Amino acid sequence: MENLLAKVAEILEVDEVKPEDVLDGFEEWDSLTVLSVIVMVDGDYRINLSAAEIRDCRTGQGLLDLVARKATK
Amino acid sequence: MNNQTAAKLWNLSDRHFLVSGASSGIGQAVALLFDSLGARLTLVDLNRAGLEETAARCVRNDHGLFEFDLRHVEEIETLVKNAVAGAGPLSGFVHCAGIQAVMPARVLTVAAWREIFAVNTESGLAVAKSFSSKRVRADNGGSIVFISSVMGLVGSPAATAYSMSKSALHGVARSLALEFAASRIRVNCIAPGFVKTPMFERGERLWDDAQRAAVEAQHPLGFGSPDDIANAAAFLCADTGRWITGTVMVVDGGYLAQ
Repeated sequence: MENLLAKVAEILEVDEVKPEDVLDGFEEWDSLTVLSVIVMVDGDYRINLSAAEIRDCRTGQGLLDLVARKATK
Repeated sequence: MNNQTAAKLWNLSDRHFLVSGASSGIGQAVALLFDSLGARLTLVDLNRAGLEETAARCVRNDHGLFEFDLRHVEEIETLVKNAVAGAGPLSGFVHCAGIQAVMPARVLTVAAWREIFAVNTESGLAVAKSFSSKRVRADNGGSIVFISSVMGLVGSPAATAYSMSKSALHGVARSLALEFAASRIRVNCIAPGFVKTPMFERGERLWDDAQRAAVEAQHPLGFGSPDDIANAAAFLCADTGRWITGTVMVVDGGYLAQ
């Protein structure tokens, strides 16, 4: 999962997304970005996320935790 | 019109149809309806268990089942030859197989859009192309139906590849309709709105409650069922559709009326 936030940063076109960053604080964080993250996680990690689950992740760490939780299921 | 005439119009007895994507959703509904109208069927899908489930729900027990990956477009000619060898010349084809991919441009890849195009468009064209052969098509004409989408007529964010694949089917239908008219092969598309299928349910997770409600509100008659699309396909394939070719029939619960 270590690359996950780097991939999110790529989608957001920012240099870095840190675990403590509030996702909603990024200017580009919108519904299309959420969709893009879903597609990326599905394609790269074979994990299905919903838009609601991602919206519930307040921070980068929240997203890491969600994906890790889903990966172990 | 009396009941006997109506029944005759809808009768598909002794006609052989190939249905792609027949393991679930619209393809399964088409298979079950065509079976009930007396057709012989060749059912094609990647999912063997789903095909067997469809066949088990049919009245006839002699339908051909072909587990086949439609991404292998070059092998479709052989698939059609085998179908014809097993059940005789084809009176029609309903292309229901498809990949619905919600992909914003930021994460859209060449590989992804090629895969979508291969399954949604090229495989349908490959089967339809085979109707140019006298060895494949029935002597008394036939009907080809591509299940496209309202997304082939209007745009939607994150649906670029899907829209491209469905719009292309409209072009394929118009040109093949002209080319095949002399052989009495009719070629049309059905453009459904959002229909409750397993594919729809997989895509539904991308929405939150508000988005789902907004999409449903765009359908004045609510979301469709696979049977709504199967009914239209039967209309186009039976004698009821005998003067319809080269067109797109919109079956969308009013989605495009706004």
